[in-house]
Amino acid sequence: MIDWNLAAKLAGGGFGVTILVLVILSLVAWIVGLVIQKTQAKGKEIPAKDK
Amino acid sequence: MFGLYESAFGALTWGNIIMFLIGGLLIYLGIAKKMEPVLLVPIGVGVLMVNLPFAGLMIYTADGFPAEVSSLSALIRAIGSGEIGLLNVLYTYGIKSGVIPLLIFLGLGAMTDFRPTIARPISFVFGAAAQLGVFAVFLIAYTSGLFGFDIEGARAAACVGIIGGSDGPPTVYITAALAPQLLGPITLVAYSYMALVPIIQPPIIRLLTTKKERAIFMKPQLREVSNLEVILFPMIIFIIAALLVPKSTPLIGMFMFGNLLRASGVTNRLAESAGGVFIDVLTFLLGITVGALMPAEVFLRPQTLAIIGLAIVAFALSTTGGLLAAKLINLFLKEKINPMIGAAGVSAIPMSSRVVQKMGQEANPRNFLLMHAMGPNMAGAIATSVVAGIFLGMLM
Repeated sequence: MIDWNLAAKLAGGGFGVTILVLVILSLVAWIVGLVIQKTQAKGKEIPAKDK
Repeated sequence: MFGLYESAFGALTWGNIIMFLIGGLLIYLGIAKKMEPVLLVPIGVGVLMVNLPFAGLMIYTADGFPAEVSSLSALIRAIGSGEIGLLNVLYTYGIKSGVIPLLIFLGLGAMTDFRPTIARPISFVFGAAAQLGVFAVFLIAYTSGLFGFDIEGARAAACVGIIGGSDGPPTVYITAALAPQLLGPITLVAYSYMALVPIIQPPIIRLLTTKKERAIFMKPQLREVSNLEVILFPMIIFIIAALLVPKSTPLIGMFMFGNLLRASGVTNRLAESAGGVFIDVLTFLLGITVGALMPAEVFLRPQTLAIIGLAIVAFALSTTGGLLAAKLINLFLKEKINPMIGAAGVSAIPMSSRVVQKMGQEANPRNFLLMHAMGPNMAGAIATSVVAGIFLGMLM
């Protein structure tokens, strides 16, 4: 007998969790990139203003 | 008496002879056609070795499982007395323990440059969508009852499904843990299909995209990624992924550790070693041991044919998933992306990206999509490791 509960949990739930985890990783990578780019841009602006 | 009396000819079966042909074919494909030679040649040799009667390199129990020894102290005695062979040792301590696939993943990490993924983080979504085939084929394999309806059947179905992720080490890692009896055919099919990506993917991509979509131009340059980002990326992704899916920690940890060796810029020798001779030797050991997991009585079963059929469905659906995700995201973007880069979310690195590059240039000679496709390609490797962790968490 097919255990539909197990099948749904693994196939549906598993795919859902995969999407969710990878979306989180995507957001984290985007935020980290954004923060570093802004910080480095500021770092470059300051010496330019000093001149 | 001398010679024929002690020969193994009498013990040869038709199954052994068929397996010799299969082993020979693998060696031919590796050498003459240059299809994954580092893996297919040793697998072929392993197949020949294990199908030679009385060779004693890999001893099987009456149930068809590789013989093991309970402790290291008994190992030398067991080898000496012929209770186990050399390849039993490699299997038990290298593959079943997960050591070899994990170390291979470390080497792959050291060979990977994540800049395209960092430059376009949406690549992770394509990598996730390209796991569609994994879960769909799990469902097909499980509900069809090919491997049984119990938890063992679900474990086997998960291992067949993960072939769709097109990533060798996670496939070997979870199969060794969940369905070791299928390790031979699953590993062989996974690596063979990876080599066939340039044949499998183009018709699916053509079927699901118009020529206009394939011709969408993308600027060749991705944004510049700083060294700090390259160094922080493996550590941050590792920590977050390990917290979200703890069972994926060994795979992602090794992959990211290998990548940090490269990204840090201060351990270049280690990175070069890990991505060079180290990974070659481990792949060779993996190959020969996997080949030895294919004695005729284990390999020549209807299940093997089912795995071959299901794996191609998994590949096709994974390609479809990544591609449709890119088309969906395009609905919300002002500057459209070429949907083919979604198809590279299957982690056959770099074959998938090359397919996209080639098809992109055919549709629009101005297009240079290789680096755009590498982002989802590498995100796919992370996604498959996450899927392996999810399966292990749910089924162990």
